[in-house]
Amino acid sequence: MSNNMRTRKGLAVLAAWAAMAAGACGGVDVRDESGGGEGTTTDGPLELAVVPKAVGHEFWSTVQAGAECAAELAGDVTVEWDGVNAETDVEGQVNLIQNFVTQNVDGIVYAATDSAALAPATQNALDSGVPVAMIDSGTDPQPDEVPLYATDNRAGAAEAANLLADALGEGDHDVALIEFQPGSQTNTERVEGFTEGLSQHGNLNLVAQQPSLSDVNEARRVTEDILTANPDLAGIFAANEPSVLGAAQAVEAAGRTGEVVIIGWDAAPDEIAGLRDGQIAALVVQNPFRMGYFGVQNMVEHLREGTPMESADTGVTFVTPENIDSEEVKAVLEPSCDNPPVDQ
Amino acid sequence: MFPVSRSLRSDPPETTVTGMESPTGPRDRLRAWLREHLSYAVSEFTAATALVVLFIALSLASPHFLTADNLFNIGSQTAVIAIIAVAQTMIIITKGIDLSVGSVAALAGVVGAIVVRDLGFSVWEATVVAIGVGAAAGLVNGLLVASARLPPFIATLGMMSAGRGLVFIITGAVGVYSLPESFQLLGNGEIAGIPFAIVITAVVALAAGFLLSQSRFGQHVYAMGSNLEAARRAGIPVRRNLTAVYVLAGALVGLGGMVAASRVSSGQPNYGIGLELDVIAAAVIGGASLFGGQGRIAGTLIGAFLIALVRNGSVLLGINIHYQQVIVGLIIWAAVYFDQYRRRRLEARG
Repeated sequence: MSNNMRTRKGLAVLAAWAAMAAGACGGVDVRDESGGGEGTTTDGPLELAVVPKAVGHEFWSTVQAGAECAAELAGDVTVEWDGVNAETDVEGQVNLIQNFVTQNVDGIVYAATDSAALAPATQNALDSGVPVAMIDSGTDPQPDEVPLYATDNRAGAAEAANLLADALGEGDHDVALIEFQPGSQTNTERVEGFTEGLSQHGNLNLVAQQPSLSDVNEARRVTEDILTANPDLAGIFAANEPSVLGAAQAVEAAGRTGEVVIIGWDAAPDEIAGLRDGQIAALVVQNPFRMGYFGVQNMVEHLREGTPMESADTGVTFVTPENIDSEEVKAVLEPSCDNPPVDQ
Repeated sequence: MFPVSRSLRSDPPETTVTGMESPTGPRDRLRAWLREHLSYAVSEFTAATALVVLFIALSLASPHFLTADNLFNIGSQTAVIAIIAVAQTMIIITKGIDLSVGSVAALAGVVGAIVVRDLGFSVWEATVVAIGVGAAAGLVNGLLVASARLPPFIATLGMMSAGRGLVFIITGAVGVYSLPESFQLLGNGEIAGIPFAIVITAVVALAAGFLLSQSRFGQHVYAMGSNLEAARRAGIPVRRNLTAVYVLAGALVGLGGMVAASRVSSGQPNYGIGLELDVIAAAVIGGASLFGGQGRIAGTLIGAFLIALVRNGSVLLGINIHYQQVIVGLIIWAAVYFDQYRRRRLEARG
């Protein structure tokens, strides 16, 4: 998931996705009344703990902004924002969650640094009567009454294949896939989503698939070689920030900017610049603001009105040179509580 | 006493470098010289043969391989690995090893990028800074090895971890972007139509080759790697020289990191994870011995290109990355096995 950390903002544009996401994320419709809150509602001020995978990254700062925005709009809600310094500090996060349970906060909204190691921490909170909502990354197993607000990578990548098909138009086209970290969950979801999406377009032929190992140099190298081996290559889907940047540089160095359509993922400053320069046709951008916002908003409604919390796809936005300056995309790329990118 | 020197003393005298122990007569000296140079020629011949065979095979297998663009691409792709493999070779000759090259290259690259972005340094000033960062890391490695007497594996293992941590601290684990186009000079620029990265690699290789084979310092480097205790007794300032090797190697790693950053026009915190494996493999395939005292820059360059060809060819032929790693592993085994086999035969005859 570390590539996601660097990601900025995103916003769903396809309403249909909510339904898909609920299925993909194992969302539930029925709240288990034995869970936190015992089915009762809480009046008065609420204190919520919101815990990212790690503090200090832009991605998580945006999650924080979303959480605080939801708290502000709900009124009388305090967000306790605290996290470990490194995503690898799994034990530190277990302790942190435990401490919040001990403090008897009203609810915990957090992103698990490790899906297995944090499962007992979630269960412990529920057992102590503290409801839990997960953002970005859930636990395994994840109790039924605990929702997950996260990006549906599979759906986003499938849509990237559609974007590529749209950009290339009629006729047969050779395309390539630059994945990042073979074996990682996020990578697998994006690769499978993209290849499933491609299968809907018989005129697109996947001729090469190589990993960047989340290293721009490696991404550039494999893309250069893919371009060499496939002089007719028409399109590339690069599945995370370093992959996109390396692919764009390789295409530019080969003098084929514009001839080879690049669909990317994430929205690092150089990716936005590449989009404006015409090196990149479109970017799939996640919405960390919405993760924080949904987590807190749904938790507050659950606590105050007893509404069951349901998992939801926080969605992705497809940023193109045409829409990059639109209000809607700006809200995703530079989110603020004045114009929160969370319309539902 | 260095912990490594104990085992070194039992090494056969054949590995002792020419000029360190006075042979009894001109005939002995000639034989020693011949054996020395034949041994290098053998390992370089083995690696070069593999390189040529692979080159021909790829030319036949892919119509796109033997094109000027692809060959320049391979040259540029190999540049950073070759520069850093030269550094690794110097350290391996001293019977050391440097596991920290990837972390130090990343550190130098992100610092070089940051001083350009935030302090307005020119690309040349940033290169000097990056080389300085590498040299400073090398100095720490060198002091840990030569003065604190940690085994090189441990000293540089620590630097591998600490260096990567520093990279993440400095960058907040986010790439350093928004650099001016001039930053791309080292990695993407050209001189007379030849990629600048290739020119830098050639200069580094020639200078390092000259230093190792022609200078007194170079002689000392081989002598220390062959038998540290003997080198000390022969009056070589072992501690100072060993530290100097690590500093010099660190400086080259810093330069390599800057070229890598320049090539992608950004400072990448994830750069160089696993790089140490590639450069150690390049040196070993080229005939450098992890037992010290042996290795030449020419061989290392051949090794670096061999690995680059495998990677390039794999993508051209659409071979999965996991197989690429297996292939590189097989080549390391084969190269070292044939090398040792032929040397044994040579020594049996000599």
